[in-house]
Amino acid sequence: MTTVGSDSVGTAVTFSGDWTRALSVPGPDQDEAMRHLHLLLLRASRTQVLRMRSSLGPVGSDVVEEIVHQAADDAMMALLGKLSSFEGRSRFTTWAYKFAVLHAATHVRRRAWRDRDVHLDALDVVPDRGATSEQYAEAADLADAVRQAIDTVLSQHQRRILLALVVEEIPVDVLADRLGASRNALYKTLHDARRRLRTHLRETGHLADPDQQAGTT
Amino acid sequence: MSTPHTPLEPDVVTRLILDTDPWLSCDDCFRLVDTYVESLLDDAGRDLAERDAMSAHLRGCPACLEEAATVLVLAAEDRGSDPEAALVHLERTIDPSGRPER
Repeated sequence: MTTVGSDSVGTAVTFSGDWTRALSVPGPDQDEAMRHLHLLLLRASRTQVLRMRSSLGPVGSDVVEEIVHQAADDAMMALLGKLSSFEGRSRFTTWAYKFAVLHAATHVRRRAWRDRDVHLDALDVVPDRGATSEQYAEAADLADAVRQAIDTVLSQHQRRILLALVVEEIPVDVLADRLGASRNALYKTLHDARRRLRTHLRETGHLADPDQQAGTT
Repeated sequence: MSTPHTPLEPDVVTRLILDTDPWLSCDDCFRLVDTYVESLLDDAGRDLAERDAMSAHLRGCPACLEEAATVLVLAAEDRGSDPEAALVHLERTIDPSGRPER
């Protein structure tokens, strides 16, 4: 397999050979494959960080590069540990990108939120509906029903996680860090809370049926 | 918390009650995202059930969507495809107001 690409500073990333074999067998081919893989991960990491750069605020390029390199290094370790799980269902490069992208995005979100407090106990009060929705009776009615449902049909934990992730828009990995929870666990709580709200709103007649929910809102 | 509370504007209400079935975890999303973006670029429905679950997850998980979009951009660049067009295709595929494209 020949892989030709470039990192985002224009360095050619070319590798000719079987990535998994080259990376697995000690020797000169492994060294070469590792070098190319790191360039590939730097390119992916840099792309992700630059796409999210506005969330970092006014930071210099040194900070950006520090995050890019840290994420690429972390991704390299993670990828090599999972190398045996590559099944060839996608190109190796696409498979590799996701490791760098995940680590880069996580680093950026942590950095962006590092000086911001997260207090879940402040999320026991469901926010009022927005003023603009008063212009539309149906939307206002639904907003009120959702507000009431959040208050009455969700557990305290579901309510707090739902409001933190959806209303306050705290990134799921940041919230997971702060709570000592996993991203999976928080997303499951969110998923279950949304499902419970929809079920309740169908029972109260605010949502017609699952296929029509999007149109109702 | 930097802001006390954001009012429940209509778009927030929509996200609060978003239908994110069929269930898929963030870990499974990570496991499948490379094949998912390639199926979008190839316009090939490899496993429609898997693709529907991925689309539902990406609708409901902004972090996973943010990451999937970048993997898509990188894979599109490798193929010489237009990354912006690929992103539009992704947005259309996960659009909650319509059925995922097949």
